[in-house]
Amino acid sequence: MTIGARIPRVEDARFLRGEGRYVADLAMPFMVEAYVLRSPYPHAIIRSIDASEALKLEGVEAVFTAADVPADLGPIVCRIPTHGDLSPYLQHPLAQDRVRYVGEPIAVIVAKSRAICEDAAELVEIDFDPLPAITSPYRAIEPNAEPIHEAGNLAGDWGFDLGNVEEALKSAAYTVQESFSVQRHTAMPMETRGLLASYDRGRNLLEVHGATKVVHTNRNMLAGMLGMSEQDIRLVEPDVGGSFGARGEFYPEDFLIPFAAKRLCKPVRWIEDRVEHFGAINHSRDSDFVVTVAADENGIITAFDVKLVTDMGGYIRTHGDVVPSHAAACFPGPYKVRNYRINTKTVMTNKTPTGTYRAPGMFEANFARERAIDRLADKMGLERAELRRRNLIPAEMMPWHVGTESVKRPTIFDSGDYPAVFEKALAGYGWDAPFEREENGWLRGRGLCAFVEPSGLGAFEGVRLEVDQRGNVTIFSGSSNQGQGHETVLAQIVSSIIDVPVEKIAVRHGDTGIITFGGGTYASRTAVLCGEALYNASHGIRDKALKTASAKFNIPVEELELREGAVWQAGKNEPLITLGGIARILMPGNPEFLKPPSDKNIPDHDGLVVTSYIRGVPGGTWAFAVHIADVLVDPRTGETKVEKYFVACDVGRQLNPLIVEGQLIGGVAQGLGGTFLEELTYSEDGQLTTGTFADYMMPNVYNMPPVSTLVLEDVKPEGNVLGVKGVGEIGPSGVAAAIGNAIADALKSNTGLNILPFTPERVLSAVPTVTR
Amino acid sequence: MTLHQVSFTVNGKKVSVEVEPRQTLADVLRGQLGLTGTHLGCEHGVCGACTIIVNGEPARGCLMLGVQAEGAEILTVEGASPDEGLSLIQEALREFHGLQCGFCTPGMVMALHHLFSVNTSPTEEEIKEAISGQLCRCTGYQGIVNAAKAVAQRLQAQQ
Ligand code: FES
Ligand code: FES
Repeated sequence: MTIGARIPRVEDARFLRGEGRYVADLAMPFMVEAYVLRSPYPHAIIRSIDASEALKLEGVEAVFTAADVPADLGPIVCRIPTHGDLSPYLQHPLAQDRVRYVGEPIAVIVAKSRAICEDAAELVEIDFDPLPAITSPYRAIEPNAEPIHEAGNLAGDWGFDLGNVEEALKSAAYTVQESFSVQRHTAMPMETRGLLASYDRGRNLLEVHGATKVVHTNRNMLAGMLGMSEQDIRLVEPDVGGSFGARGEFYPEDFLIPFAAKRLCKPVRWIEDRVEHFGAINHSRDSDFVVTVAADENGIITAFDVKLVTDMGGYIRTHGDVVPSHAAACFPGPYKVRNYRINTKTVMTNKTPTGTYRAPGMFEANFARERAIDRLADKMGLERAELRRRNLIPAEMMPWHVGTESVKRPTIFDSGDYPAVFEKALAGYGWDAPFEREENGWLRGRGLCAFVEPSGLGAFEGVRLEVDQRGNVTIFSGSSNQGQGHETVLAQIVSSIIDVPVEKIAVRHGDTGIITFGGGTYASRTAVLCGEALYNASHGIRDKALKTASAKFNIPVEELELREGAVWQAGKNEPLITLGGIARILMPGNPEFLKPPSDKNIPDHDGLVVTSYIRGVPGGTWAFAVHIADVLVDPRTGETKVEKYFVACDVGRQLNPLIVEGQLIGGVAQGLGGTFLEELTYSEDGQLTTGTFADYMMPNVYNMPPVSTLVLEDVKPEGNVLGVKGVGEIGPSGVAAAIGNAIADALKSNTGLNILPFTPERVLSAVPTVTR
Repeated sequence: MTLHQVSFTVNGKKVSVEVEPRQTLADVLRGQLGLTGTHLGCEHGVCGACTIIVNGEPARGCLMLGVQAEGAEILTVEGASPDEGLSLIQEALREFHGLQCGFCTPGMVMALHHLFSVNTSPTEEEIKEAISGQLCRCTGYQGIVNAAKAVAQRLQAQQ
């Protein structure tokens, strides 16, 4: 069985040898380069654009502005359902007469080289009328605030009201109210974005390399915007240097670069530079909470009452309001709390538009809820794990309907034994083990958090599995891959069913030219959905092979088995025929079987090929996880050091423990970045002030504590055939919560630890004056 | 723009290219010599994806100009890889899952290559120092450090 085997990845060799092919490594004959001219103003009217001088520069091919795109071209649509109508806030690929954030595309310059493009950009004259910039969502919704969009700055005002929160608050023995703030930060993959588009005018074929994540969805959007047939456009994913939710959405450039290639009938390449990336990629998080949590005298949590404000930036993009939507739908977390109320405000500001980043809305909500629960425990004088223990949803109450919905899907925690995992996590870490509270003037604290994490979302996924005449197997997958290890994991699934070694199974993905429909990769969905499609396709191949061998050798199917890449008759020590042999028989036109189909005959002549599309489970499948950390804090300087970090989770079933562990540890690293270091800050006049790696700090090797994991396979979800849950987002999701609780525990203080990131200044401000 | 003729050795081969004065060495390697294993993650000297070895010392390909390479000995990830298969360092990175998207990986390989070329038995601290200027967004570094520790052990065992 290769499912569940801890094997190194098959895709690694090319990356290690420098043979990965990322979009910037691709080139085409007669290719020209594009540069996106972006707004230097956070908010301004564009009076005029004069590109005539730029066009005179030698080597410049074209300058496209809003005047050059078809007048009836609409904005980039939002691809998922939202709370209320967000269509007034969508972004056009090029700014029309107004810019709303620094970095908004205004023009595309195409020239022989990127350097010439940049020279030409200096020559484009734009007459701006600056308007006041709004960088605070609270300022944005004041009555006299400058409207950023005609529809106003308050894009959404919605929520849920379950049970009777008023009553619960009134009768509570304890209540705690706290405000929390999760800063704007984002995915920041090590590879910037890029595209290479080429257009064959004679055949009206457009090819775009550099797409990723949801290539079919993006292809369809592009077809609509260009007025082309979907089948005349091919989007291809090369190797991709990380996504984490932000990359691969339909960005303005995803229209602009193919558009330029089509207009010029030349290959056009655009490679984003890092500074550009900071202002152009979706930002994320940027959410504030006010949380009231109530409990009775026995430590049973009776209500959550929450207010959430999310800063959406200048436009609504393809993800709409997923971040606040997930946060609002899932706020109660793994606790059986029936009185839950939330009001959510989504607000437009003059900052880069926002979208998803790994564990969207969950990192935020987990931080606010789990910090508030620790406060409640302290107030009650109850041990912090004990308070959680008393409130976890018990196994017998599964599936648990929260009563909320996100992106029009009901929030249903499908499976799991949360209390059991919780106890195993505490034992696994040694939560109760005593520890030194002080060391050389530093204070030690221990913190934990518990949460649920969705995975396997989305309507469907599809694969096609093909075996060639030599027995080589190829998976054509509708999902995509940005480094998660799908080439290995998908091959493992097939390998375990048709018994062909993983090395003989190639995986092709992220290409609209290889499979008709594809869902793509997001929401930790590939193992769950693509895994199930592949399971079905592999069984299809198996059945087809056995049936064919049965017809050919006149042996009943029941006496045949498939192993080691061949069909065997039970009890014989020579195989009857290899899979390659079967594939040859099944080739269309094989004269041996050019007979009318009948029961006795070979089933069909369409190759040893099986296509399988599967439907998703509406609510997805949810993993339960616990994070625990020990942290040292220097009360004199506010410096912190995470000593050790621990993640426990039940994932149903692991496909490859090495990859599961890698996802968890890598995810923790990103969570630590968001907890301590990373922040996209804006000056009051709307300029991004952390726009390089010198100001936007990401974890390096010194920032990483040892991370250990406890991955359980206790309860298999029933919604998918492999019994798996996605693991991509469990790593980051609880980090800020566990660390915040650990620092608070070290300092025996809570003030100041509700605002991320935990800079030394903030931590210092949390130190009680007696300690200082 | 005037072009300059620059000659240097890369991965053991002598090359001669015409470069613009403003072109970085990384751009020359990638664009003119097709050595696309050297990656660009920031182009301002912070991420380390472009790490190469110049005259025996690790260098940032994005911070050097092509014209500065005159007469230099340069090693890139392509040159640090065996004709077939993987080097000891590469093999260990694979075994310990020291890479995911692979974008930072050539820089990591080169930083470790340099470390082990000057020190066959580095401590954990020395390993961390050697990769402290290399950003990886995917792995959390644990697999990379573990891989390097394994390399050190294996080199010891060979002696
Ligand atoms: S590209 Fe050279 S250090 Fe980042
Ligand atoms: S493996 Fe993706 S950045 Fe290191």
